[in-house]
Amino acid sequence: MSIFDDLQQAIIDGKSPLAKELTEKGLSEGLRPAEFFPNAIIPSMNEVGRRMRECEFFIPEVLIAARAARASTDILRPLLVGDEAVSSAGTVVCGTVKGDLHDIGKNIVAMMLESAGFEIVDLGVDVSPEKVVEAVRQHQANVVAMSALLTTTMVNMKAVIEALASAGLRDQVKVMVGGAPVTEAWARSIGADGYGKDASAAVETARSLLAA
Amino acid sequence: MTEKKNYRIVLQPTHAELTAPAGTSLRDLLFEQGVEFPCGGQGRCRGCRVRVHEGTTEINAAQRERLSAQELANGWRLACQCSVVDNLVIELRQWDAAILADDTAFSFVPREGLGAAVDLGTTTLVAQLVNLATGKVMAVRTALNAQARYGADIMSRLQFATSGGGQATLNHLIRQQIAGLIRQLILLAKVPGSDLRDVVLVGNTVMHHLFCGIDVEPLSHYPFESKELDLQTFRARDLEWDLSDRSVIRFLPCLGGFVGSDILAGILATKLGESRELTGLMDLGTNGEIVVGNRERLFCASTAAGPAFEGARISMGMRAATGAISQAEVKNERLVCHVLGNAAPQGLCGSGLVDVVAAGLEMGAIQESGRLANGAKEWMLAPPVVLTQNDIRELQLAKAAIAAGARILLERSGTSFADLKELYLAGAFGNYIRHASAQRIGLINLPSERIAPAGNTALLGAKLAMFSLDGEDGSYTQLRHRIEHVALKADTNFQDIFVEELTFPSSNHVHS
Repeated sequence: MSIFDDLQQAIIDGKSPLAKELTEKGLSEGLRPAEFFPNAIIPSMNEVGRRMRECEFFIPEVLIAARAARASTDILRPLLVGDEAVSSAGTVVCGTVKGDLHDIGKNIVAMMLESAGFEIVDLGVDVSPEKVVEAVRQHQANVVAMSALLTTTMVNMKAVIEALASAGLRDQVKVMVGGAPVTEAWARSIGADGYGKDASAAVETARSLLAA
Repeated sequence: MTEKKNYRIVLQPTHAELTAPAGTSLRDLLFEQGVEFPCGGQGRCRGCRVRVHEGTTEINAAQRERLSAQELANGWRLACQCSVVDNLVIELRQWDAAILADDTAFSFVPREGLGAAVDLGTTTLVAQLVNLATGKVMAVRTALNAQARYGADIMSRLQFATSGGGQATLNHLIRQQIAGLIRQLILLAKVPGSDLRDVVLVGNTVMHHLFCGIDVEPLSHYPFESKELDLQTFRARDLEWDLSDRSVIRFLPCLGGFVGSDILAGILATKLGESRELTGLMDLGTNGEIVVGNRERLFCASTAAGPAFEGARISMGMRAATGAISQAEVKNERLVCHVLGNAAPQGLCGSGLVDVVAAGLEMGAIQESGRLANGAKEWMLAPPVVLTQNDIRELQLAKAAIAAGARILLERSGTSFADLKELYLAGAFGNYIRHASAQRIGLINLPSERIAPAGNTALLGAKLAMFSLDGEDGSYTQLRHRIEHVALKADTNFQDIFVEELTFPSSNHVHS
């Protein structure tokens, strides 16, 4: 088994110290930091996503796997140089909408996207439309990803899309939405570009939106 | 198959008439009529005793243990231990005695007339008519909240209320429905409606606002706080109710956030605010409410458990009615399910769900992570009823919300589960849930002997309030000063603790 295989397994099993140790070992053996992403980090998070979709993994398993992935990427990211560092898959501004404080789903989405190579600007919870507009402008974001867990707050996703439009930024960013009460039909009705049924769908959705 | 013989059962004092096939347990029959079974129908307490005036019923060992020879000779039985084998006329001790059962510490000033106590729940309504001179319950009615068609849980109800004109619809609907219930109570008890003096309503903050006509918009988003929590007083004409103008209708005050007067009433009923020792009250429903404290200080919170405990969002979930698996246990390494109404299994209600998962953990059919063993997608309980992987996930979300809420509340009060002398469990679910199972799945981290089922504390508290209203108006200013509402949704640790509580405790962890 290669170090990459071992690292994949460590991430799936949620073993942070082991993931850290294997990353350091690989680097000391001369593996290039950028190689870790396509060979270990991304495939392991894809596997975590698959297990989540199939109900095999639940929130705790996903979170500890993501934490293990982060133990590895925290070492790798500062070492990326030149082209490697800027060749991120895209910049995503994410947050839980105004009036809503639920952030477990949003955090999983952020971690999934991050391990898939996206640059993440996490605005946290109870995020106003103005804050989203400001972050999109400042970070030249490609994607806005919004979460809501309450039927009473998901209406604020629409407010974000409207705010982006009136700031003249709507054409520059793709908007994707998700969260327990959000449906695909509803996402379409408010003019979102993409919808993820659960956090595991986020990476696919973001990729296909940017490819389009 | 031959048709089972049907028998006729008459309930006193309401004169309600029921028909039931031979073999139907009185527990199932009376539960649907609003009778409560404090020990969950296990024959461990005397809470469900009834007096059989006509007809025969069996006497088993549990009844000989709990009832004296004299009581048995006088026709007293434990309803939970009897099934229908004859036409019966039964007197319901519970409706008769709900207030007077408390005669040690509670004294009331008798006065003329009648009062009605109403527990206005998000899902169900219970109303009782009480003779204010004797404290006796004269009639009881239960109903599903008519607002439920506009959203089963509080958040979807709020969404309907805050979107164009919804609030007025809900306001009108609930006032009409409660007027109807009160009319039925008066008819049932065969008393003049003009004798009705007092109506006391209790319910959570959303129900309070929707009934009283207060804007619910502040409750629909962070920080989920309304400024108008106080006692609301109405005259019959304000509500367009067909009652005497002398009658006063009061909706008791809320405590903060979603925690309303049903919990205030629960504190009155369980005397939490008078206890020297640390005690607690938990009401498990779509919204779980928790109170802990003593006579000096009380802390309360509500936590959104979702509808899993009521059987909703469970693939074969149903309410606790005929055909529901309501209990389950492991016998000889096999799962044995109890089905309400002695009928063919149709689904799973909240208490059954908790039991089944606890049993699954014991049998190794469910892992501590919540995963079904051997990668199974579902578990056959009693054909055709299955438990799916996703059902377990729903239960994990619900129990983690409650367990995390309780942990934070105890931390806030500077205490822990170990310090909790007793935890009262309110509501129908609290009555039916098996305490050992609740502990096994990590819902309540307390041994069974420190958990006490408390019945409908909201209704009992509302009745107590009705009698003490003579002295004061029902605003409970002093008591409310000692109760602090903790906003769990605003607690930054909540989500972390919630995730920690998602898994099931390991078997050697379930504690002592």
